[in-house]
Amino acid sequence: MIELRIPRSLFQEMIDDLERTHPFAMERVGFVYGKMGSIGSDATLALLCRYHHIPDDQYLEDDTVGARIGEAAMSQAMRDLYDGHSHRLCIFHVHIHGNHGEPRMSRTDSRELPPMMPGFQSTSRNGAHGILILSADHAAAWVWLPKEKESRRATRIVVVGAPMEIFEGGKTW
Amino acid sequence: MVTPDRFERQSFLGWNAQEQIATCIVGVVGLGGGGSHIIQQLAHIGFKRYVIYDDDTVEDSNLNRLVGGTTVDEKSHSPKLLIARRTIFGLQSDAEVEGLSVKWQEQPEPLRRCHLVFGCVDSYRGRQELEIAMRRYLINYIDIGMDVHGTDAPLISGQVILSTPGGPCMKCLGFLTDEKLQEEAMKYGKAGSRPQVVWPNGVLASSAVGLAVELVTNWTRRARAYEYLVYDGNKGVVNQSITMRNRTQHNCPHFSLNDVGDPVFLEI
Amino acid sequence: MDYPPDQIQGLKDYCTSLKMFSEGGITYFLMEGIRLPDGCSPQECDALLCPIDRGDGYASRLFFSQQIASPYTLNWHVSDHRLAERNWTAFSWKVSIPNLTLVQLVREHLSALVRPQ
Repeated sequence: MIELRIPRSLFQEMIDDLERTHPFAMERVGFVYGKMGSIGSDATLALLCRYHHIPDDQYLEDDTVGARIGEAAMSQAMRDLYDGHSHRLCIFHVHIHGNHGEPRMSRTDSRELPPMMPGFQSTSRNGAHGILILSADHAAAWVWLPKEKESRRATRIVVVGAPMEIFEGGKTW
Repeated sequence: MVTPDRFERQSFLGWNAQEQIATCIVGVVGLGGGGSHIIQQLAHIGFKRYVIYDDDTVEDSNLNRLVGGTTVDEKSHSPKLLIARRTIFGLQSDAEVEGLSVKWQEQPEPLRRCHLVFGCVDSYRGRQELEIAMRRYLINYIDIGMDVHGTDAPLISGQVILSTPGGPCMKCLGFLTDEKLQEEAMKYGKAGSRPQVVWPNGVLASSAVGLAVELVTNWTRRARAYEYLVYDGNKGVVNQSITMRNRTQHNCPHFSLNDVGDPVFLEI
Repeated sequence: MDYPPDQIQGLKDYCTSLKMFSEGGITYFLMEGIRLPDGCSPQECDALLCPIDRGDGYASRLFFSQQIASPYTLNWHVSDHRLAERNWTAFSWKVSIPNLTLVQLVREHLSALVRPQ
């Protein structure tokens, strides 16, 4: 079982940033950081606590994809991750798909995002890292646990605070 | 067996409210006067996933307020946990209940699986410890408690507090204060048994469950991230605390979002 | 709150391992395998030093991972106190001397274990 928890204020901060238009990119992306929580030997809990928005000038113009970020954005993410590695810091790449329902990875997502994970894992070895995709009314995450090469789908993503939202794989609220 | 008709009368909560309620993992710490009321209401409403704690057994002095407790339970020294399970399974035969007959601090991991926890403990320090754990693991927390002050002219008071990660905590709301913690620390071990009666517990538990259902279903469309309700048991009135009315700051300086997750000890 | 590095290093002489963490804005020092005064049983355990007033009326506090048998009776009035997701116990003892270093603070707390009350 893998669960991500996000405070409502952080969730809203992510959405507010990701929904802004960009001068040339078709969509925005960001990174959200978290810490690990132990809830039993057969379960993983990632508690998301900080969002990093990517400045406009750190995107690269590329009309073959929705958004492409440059070296500066990745370097900053890796620096932040390294600074927190002793605290088992986790990092998730996050973006929004505009439709309704449970998000799936697009072909571009599947091609471009998983290759980031080995770098994250070697920088913060004891954190779980991954990809978080939001839709208009749902969320899904793919998680790389420490030392694992393959991802697993998060069982549940919970927005805590008010109102609560629980996104379970295979279910739509 | 639960039929579709069971929740027909609460369909105003939303088209998918029952699914939201059934999906939520709810914790209840303390299954005495307050907790037993809460368990009963949660089971009626349709909550199905529980993590519950109490290490105590039923005594005769509990029966003036322990909802679901009977004289048979008292004679057989039934664990309070048993009564809670009986209440839940009597209404939700397919419920998932993890019941722990220990103090939550002795086995804290199950509690961390919850999305919403009710604290029905009887000390300020106990409440403080619970809230710290809830903030650490990003869990919504609802605290209830009552007290009776004085003997010549008794005054019944109580509180219901909603504390959610990122929002004002019990210290921000003025409920937990250094003075209260100090006074309690000085009296430690000399508290004795405190006056307790069933009807204030019922008022407080109902208010707490109401907050929980609003949080989970957002049926009022006015999502409260924090709340502090004060009960005057002599007048029979529940009001919002004055500390809420004057509140302008909506975040919390006592708990940083950086402090979430398992504590990490840095080697020196 | 920051502490002078030499004061922090001084704590290492009293334990096998020294770590720190923060919770609720307060920095604590985890002294693993702290050596207890002669006459105490066990001879060592884990201790958690809080050098400031947490609002409970004690200017500083030394928590222990277990209750300690000592030559004189102490009021172990705190049990199962939750800090850093562990349970701690403490006896009632107030150190009211101001401006102590961290090491002096620990020594004052430990001395209470073998001091007639």
